[in-house]
Amino acid sequence: MRNGAKRSQAVAFGAIRFLSVLTIVILGLILGFILFKGLRYSSVERGTVLAMAEREPDGFVVVVNAGRDMETASWDELYGMFSDEYINWAKLDGGADDLLPVAVDPASEDGAAVEAFLFGSEDAGGYPLWGGLVRFAPTAAEALAIVASTPGAVCVVAADSVVAADGVVPSAAAAGAGGVKTLGIRRLAVAINSDVSDFVGDSYLEDLSDDDLEGLFSGRIRNWAELGGPDLAVAPLAPPEGGALAAAWERAGLSGSGGGSADSGAEGMAAYLSGLYDTSGAVGPAFALDASLAGIPTAWLTRRVSGWNLTPRFILEAPRLSGKTGGISSIILNTLFMVLLTMAMAAPIGVAAAVYLVEYARDGRVLALLRLGTETLAGIPSIIFGLFGFLFFVDVLGFGFGLLSGSLTLTLMILPTIVRSAEEALKAVPRSMREGSLALGATKLQTIGRVVVPAAMPGIATGVILAMGRAVGETAALIFTMGSDYQLADGLFSSARSLSTHVYLLFAEGVSFDKAFATATVLVVVVLGINLAAKRVISSMSRSGAARQGNA
Amino acid sequence: MMSEAETAFSIRGLDLWYGKSQALKSVTADLPARSVTALIGPSGCGKSTFLRTLNRMNDLVGGVRIEGSVLYDGVDVLSPSTDVIDLRKRVGMVFQKPNPFPMSLYDNIAYGPRVHGVKDKARLDDVVESSLVRAALFDEVKDRLHESALGLSGGQQQRLCIARVLAVEPEVVLMDEPTSALDPISTAKIEALLDELKRDYTIVIVTHNMQQAGRVSDRTAFFLLGELVEYAATKELFFNPADERTENYISGRFG
Repeated sequence: MRNGAKRSQAVAFGAIRFLSVLTIVILGLILGFILFKGLRYSSVERGTVLAMAEREPDGFVVVVNAGRDMETASWDELYGMFSDEYINWAKLDGGADDLLPVAVDPASEDGAAVEAFLFGSEDAGGYPLWGGLVRFAPTAAEALAIVASTPGAVCVVAADSVVAADGVVPSAAAAGAGGVKTLGIRRLAVAINSDVSDFVGDSYLEDLSDDDLEGLFSGRIRNWAELGGPDLAVAPLAPPEGGALAAAWERAGLSGSGGGSADSGAEGMAAYLSGLYDTSGAVGPAFALDASLAGIPTAWLTRRVSGWNLTPRFILEAPRLSGKTGGISSIILNTLFMVLLTMAMAAPIGVAAAVYLVEYARDGRVLALLRLGTETLAGIPSIIFGLFGFLFFVDVLGFGFGLLSGSLTLTLMILPTIVRSAEEALKAVPRSMREGSLALGATKLQTIGRVVVPAAMPGIATGVILAMGRAVGETAALIFTMGSDYQLADGLFSSARSLSTHVYLLFAEGVSFDKAFATATVLVVVVLGINLAAKRVISSMSRSGAARQGNA
Repeated sequence: MMSEAETAFSIRGLDLWYGKSQALKSVTADLPARSVTALIGPSGCGKSTFLRTLNRMNDLVGGVRIEGSVLYDGVDVLSPSTDVIDLRKRVGMVFQKPNPFPMSLYDNIAYGPRVHGVKDKARLDDVVESSLVRAALFDEVKDRLHESALGLSGGQQQRLCIARVLAVEPEVVLMDEPTSALDPISTAKIEALLDELKRDYTIVIVTHNMQQAGRVSDRTAFFLLGELVEYAATKELFFNPADERTENYISGRFG
């Protein structure tokens, strides 16, 4: 009998322990996952060039202002900078500056060489497509001077002219000497014969991973069908030996089969490219510009990239391009304004209502109705509050989408929470406390104001803080009422975006998965911070209720 | 019934109902000023109710109906036109459980004067000190007046509550079993305090403890089932009870 009781107690104890450990593990998993995803990004990048960067492609260097947050550029990006595809740095390095492409005047000898480098020589079928933004400088030295003094400038010059101009060796320039640095250029692509890249029936060549490339050039993958392409034998071609392409290919670490033609001159190159063009199933390395001039398609390549997601810059910078680049500083501030405004309205009203309900209202129908009302309101989905806020504040009262409409809606939403918790806190103040005050000849109002509410303060503060957490985390009620402008709000009627709305929009509009997680991490940390701060406030409050009374 | 002393409370035909149950039945008594009157009787006999009628604390309970008259210093305590705030200022109360406010010792005692409009700091300091001295607590707490009152021991808290009452300069102090939640040493301190206080104050004390009533009080009233069975000088009531029920109670046959 006794043993049985002992055993069932042990079982119950074990179950309780298991469940509590499980809860902690689940909590840890959630927090850990969000923090992990928020701190580090790891995503698949898709492009047509390999990751390997060249500092001096064909004897040229790409120079940018030393302040740019960019180390390498793909050939497409470089080409786009000089042909008006980009007008600012937002899509390049996430910066806010306008783009200023600078080149040496093509009428000069130096300039003509740069033109041929960027757009291809006329012999090879190139055609200069200078964009309207490009500023031409008479000499390489002047072009470099412009880059050194303009944050958004970029220029291409012959490598020896950098040394000649002001003694800046390109590699040393990376250290910031002369206010400029060089960009590595990624231009090595994988050219494939058009028979492979074309649609054949419903089969189409997949994007190629590093592993696929290794398989193609090592002979492991023998038929394109293995990669989703047409039923063609793989014919890997090697670039002419001794040339720039072979050197780059060597560095890319894929030159397994080796043994290209020995002619590294223009003719050997032309023969290699026509081999790619003509041979069914052919695949081989080619510089992006050469491939496009020769009319050979290049394969889509994918690789996994990872790095720091949540950086100080992310917190301190304003968002750009709907949050795709830049940070969330303005959104953090908007959230702060929203919460302050909401609490300034909700806390006094909620506490006053609770005082009325507990201290003054007589039990009866009206009170029961009020209680039912607050309880029901507390359970209504926030999106309903959003709809109401949209109709009433945005439309009927004409406040428009903005901080005020959003905060008013949030106030309505969290009021029941505050009222309920403040009610409980006030009810928990012992009757003896009230009697003690009344027996000293204090009026009811004095008793409430000086004894009951201060005594209930820790409980009231807890409720207010919890409500605050709810306000910070609210999304649905804000979408219809506060708008979604990610700039810093400049007034009560200014449309603004809170952190949680930002997470939602980044995700829902497919702007950036990584930024959504980074923002979520900030949001989690903010809520955690609020809770910890609240705990400290409350514990210091309950340690000595003395400080408030203005003694001594 | 009345002795030579001056009368503080004059109670005539007091009936009190909580809803339908009658808690006090036609109580008539005169409580003398500047002495200690003890109210004894078994639980639920109406002694606390009687005490709380004297400063209208029963107003806070719903469904109370009172008939009869209670005169204090010529004022009709029960009249709706009586200034309850003023009455409670003159007739203070100490409760069964110590109920210090969650604030510092200083603020606890200054609370009463403050709600009655005293703002002058020097005067508040004086009141706080003299009240603590009279409640025999000053020496124990003088170094921590600005610490939370909740850190005091139970006995100290109860003396703090007495000091808090004294700070509003009452004429009467009602005590509702003030030592029932305390240890014997604290109880002894408070009993000694009562002896001091009765020189200046009228004290009415409810107690469960007959020895205590015997030790501290000048007159004792015995309540049973809402009835004031016997009311006499303490010695007389204990050694020569007129009523058989009183004798049964004090000799421990019930209660």
